[in-house]
Amino acid sequence: MTEITKSKDLGNGWVELNIGPQHPSTHGVLRLKVKLDGEIIREVEPVIGYLHRNAEKICELDYYCDSLIYFDRMDYVGAMNMEVGYLEAAEKLLGIPPPERVKWIRVIMAELSRIAAHLVWAGAFGLDLGMLTPFFYCFIEREKILRVFTETCGSRQETNYMSIGGVYQDFNDKIVYDIEEFIEQFPAKLEVIFNAYVKNDIFISRNKGIGILEPEVAISYGVTGPMLRASGIDYDVRKAEPYLVYDKVNFDIPVSYKKDNLARFLVRFEEMRQSIKIIGQAIKKIPDGPYFNPKAKKSLMIRLRGEGETYARTESPKGEFGVYLVGDGGVKPYRVRVRSPSFKNLSVLPVLAKDVMIADMVAISGTIDLVFGEVDR
Amino acid sequence: MSILLRLQSLFSIFGHYLSFILAYLLETVFMIVFVMVSLVAVIYLFRKYMARVQLRIGPNRVGKFGLLQLIADSLKLVGKESVLPRGRDDMPFRMAPVIIFLGLIMSFAIIPYGSLYWVGSLTITDSDVSVLLLFAALAIMPIGELLAGISSRNKYAVVGALRGVAKDISFEIPMMISVLALVMMASARTSTPLNLTSLVSVQFIPYGIPQIIGLGVFFIAMVARASYSPFDMGESDSELVAGHSTEYSGMRFGMFYMGMFGSIFLGSMIVSILYLGAYNGPFSGDLGFIYLLIKSLILVILAFTIWLSVPRIRIDKFVNLGWKYLLPASVINLVIAGILTLGLGL
Repeated sequence: MTEITKSKDLGNGWVELNIGPQHPSTHGVLRLKVKLDGEIIREVEPVIGYLHRNAEKICELDYYCDSLIYFDRMDYVGAMNMEVGYLEAAEKLLGIPPPERVKWIRVIMAELSRIAAHLVWAGAFGLDLGMLTPFFYCFIEREKILRVFTETCGSRQETNYMSIGGVYQDFNDKIVYDIEEFIEQFPAKLEVIFNAYVKNDIFISRNKGIGILEPEVAISYGVTGPMLRASGIDYDVRKAEPYLVYDKVNFDIPVSYKKDNLARFLVRFEEMRQSIKIIGQAIKKIPDGPYFNPKAKKSLMIRLRGEGETYARTESPKGEFGVYLVGDGGVKPYRVRVRSPSFKNLSVLPVLAKDVMIADMVAISGTIDLVFGEVDR
Repeated sequence: MSILLRLQSLFSIFGHYLSFILAYLLETVFMIVFVMVSLVAVIYLFRKYMARVQLRIGPNRVGKFGLLQLIADSLKLVGKESVLPRGRDDMPFRMAPVIIFLGLIMSFAIIPYGSLYWVGSLTITDSDVSVLLLFAALAIMPIGELLAGISSRNKYAVVGALRGVAKDISFEIPMMISVLALVMMASARTSTPLNLTSLVSVQFIPYGIPQIIGLGVFFIAMVARASYSPFDMGESDSELVAGHSTEYSGMRFGMFYMGMFGSIFLGSMIVSILYLGAYNGPFSGDLGFIYLLIKSLILVILAFTIWLSVPRIRIDKFVNLGWKYLLPASVINLVIAGILTLGLGL
C-alpha cells in the first residue's frame, strides 16, 4: 500500500470514485471511473481490460478446430452461441458445410444457450436492484438447461459441443425427451419469474423512464441485440440475414418503443419465450442423417486448410456477434477478429448514465447485460 | 415489585449498596444473554426462512438442523483479524460498532416483557417516561452508523452514511407523530400515558385497530430503521459495497450485522407493544411473555417476507415517501386519534 494521497480536487465539488473492478454490481471486472456530485453521477468512464486473455491472437496460433474453446470462454454464459458464431465463419472459409441435421441441432442448442444466458442476466439484474429471491428461481431453471448440455457433451458451461462440420455427439432419445420436458414446463416457471419482477411497484419505479437510449444514439454507437430492439429498431441477424435454419422456423422479433430499462427487460423476457417457440418447432422438424461432415473427420481435422477471408455474423444473446477470419492456405488462420456485442453495448454507458443517481447507474449497467469474457476477450 | 428489587433482596446479606450493584450486574448479564440468544434465534430463523423462499435448504450441517451454524459463524468472526484502514479517524472508528450494539441493548432493557407470578414485572428499566426513554435509546444507533461512515475514510462509506442520515430524517418525524397519537389516546384513560406498561394496559382493544394508519406508518418506519430491503439504501450492497460498514471486518462487522437483525426484532417488539396489545391475549396471565414473542415473531416473518420480495427503493423516492406520504398520513392519524379521544371518549 502506498501513502494515502489527498483526493484530487475537481474544482466543482465533485468526488471521483472508482466503482470496480472488485465491486458487487459490476458483473465481473468492469471498472467505472465515476465523478459524483453528491448522489448524482456527472461522468462515467468505463475502464476495461481486466479479463483480457488475448483470445484472438491465441486463435491465430492454433488449428482451426482447436480455436473453438477460446470462443466458449468469450461469452461464457451463452457458450453455444459463440460456437455457432465461430463455426459459421470457419466452415465458410474451409468449405465444409454441416449436414442438415447438424444445423437443426445447432439451432436447438443455441436457443437453449440463449435462454440460459438471459436467465443469468435476469437473476443478476435482480441482485443489482437488491432483489435476492428471483436469482435463485432463474438459476434453478438454468440448471435444467445445463443438465441437457452435460448429457450432450459432458460439460456444463464451456461446452465445446460443436466442431467443424458437425457436432461432437448425436442427439439420443434421452436428450430429445429432456429438451421436450424442459420446454413444456419452462413457460410456467418463466411467468413466475416475470411476475416476481413486473408485479412489483418498486421494480417498475426503478426502471420505467430510466436510461433512455434513443435509436439514433444506439445506431451511432453500434449497439445491437436486445438493447437495440428495446429502442425500437427491429434488427435481428436471425431475421435480417438468416443463418443455419432460422428461415425455416416461425418466430417473432420482440421490439419495444419505450427505449428505457423496463423495455430492455421486457424484450429479453419475450426473447426467452420466442426461443422456446423455436426449440419446440426445431425438435419436431429435426431430420435424420449424419451428425458430422465426413470431410471433417476427427483424424482429418488438423489438416484442414483455408484460404481467403470471411466474415460471419450471428445473433448472440448480447447482440450481433461477428467473426472475421483470414486464411493464408495454412492449417492455422492468418487473422482472427471478433466483433463482440457487449463491448459495443458497454460503450454507450457514458451516454446513458449521465446525470443519473448511483442507484440508476447500477440498474442501467445491469440492463446492458455485460459479460466480461466477451468485452475483453 | 420489579425484578431489580427481587434480585436486590436476594443479595441482601451483602448490605444495601453492594446488593444493588450485584443486582444491576446480574440484570445486565441477563439482558445481554437474552439479546444474544434472541439474535441467534432471529438470524437462524431468517436464514432458514430465506432458504425456503429461495427453494434452498439453508444451514443443516453444523448441529441438528444447523442450529449451531450461527455459533460457528460468530466464532469465526471473533477469530478473524479486524483490519483497521489507514487514515481512519481512530476513536470514532472503534466506537461506532460499540455504540450501535449499546443502543440495541439499551432499547431492549426498556421494553416491558409482561410479568411472571413469582418474579413480578419483567421490565428491566421502568420509568414514568419510558416511551421517551425508548425512543431516545433508539436514536443512538443511527449515530453509530454515521460515525462509522465518516470515520473510515472511504467514499462508499461516506455516501452510505449520508444516505442513512437522509433516510433517518425522513421517517423519524412521522414515526414520532404516530407515537404522539397513541399517547394522546392513552392519556384519556391513565395518568401516566408515557409509561410503556400503562400504555399497554389501557389497550382494551389493540390500538392498531383504531389507529390502523398509525400502525402502517410506524411499521414502515421500523422497517426503514432496521435498514434492510427495500430501505437498505445506506448499505446497498450492489451500489455502495456495504455502505457505512464497508471498512469493517471481523467482530466489528459482526456487531453491525447483529445490530441490523437486532433492529428487526426490536422493531417488531415495539410495534407489538404499541399497537398489538403486547403481552395481552386470551388466558394471558403468566404466559404474557409468550404472547409478546409470538406477535413479534409474526411481524419479524412479515418483515423478512418484504425483505426477500422487493428491490431496493431509490433514496430520493424514499425521502419523497417520508415527507409526502408518511408525514401527512401520520398527521391525519393524529387528527383521527383526537376525534376518537375527545369526540367519542374512547
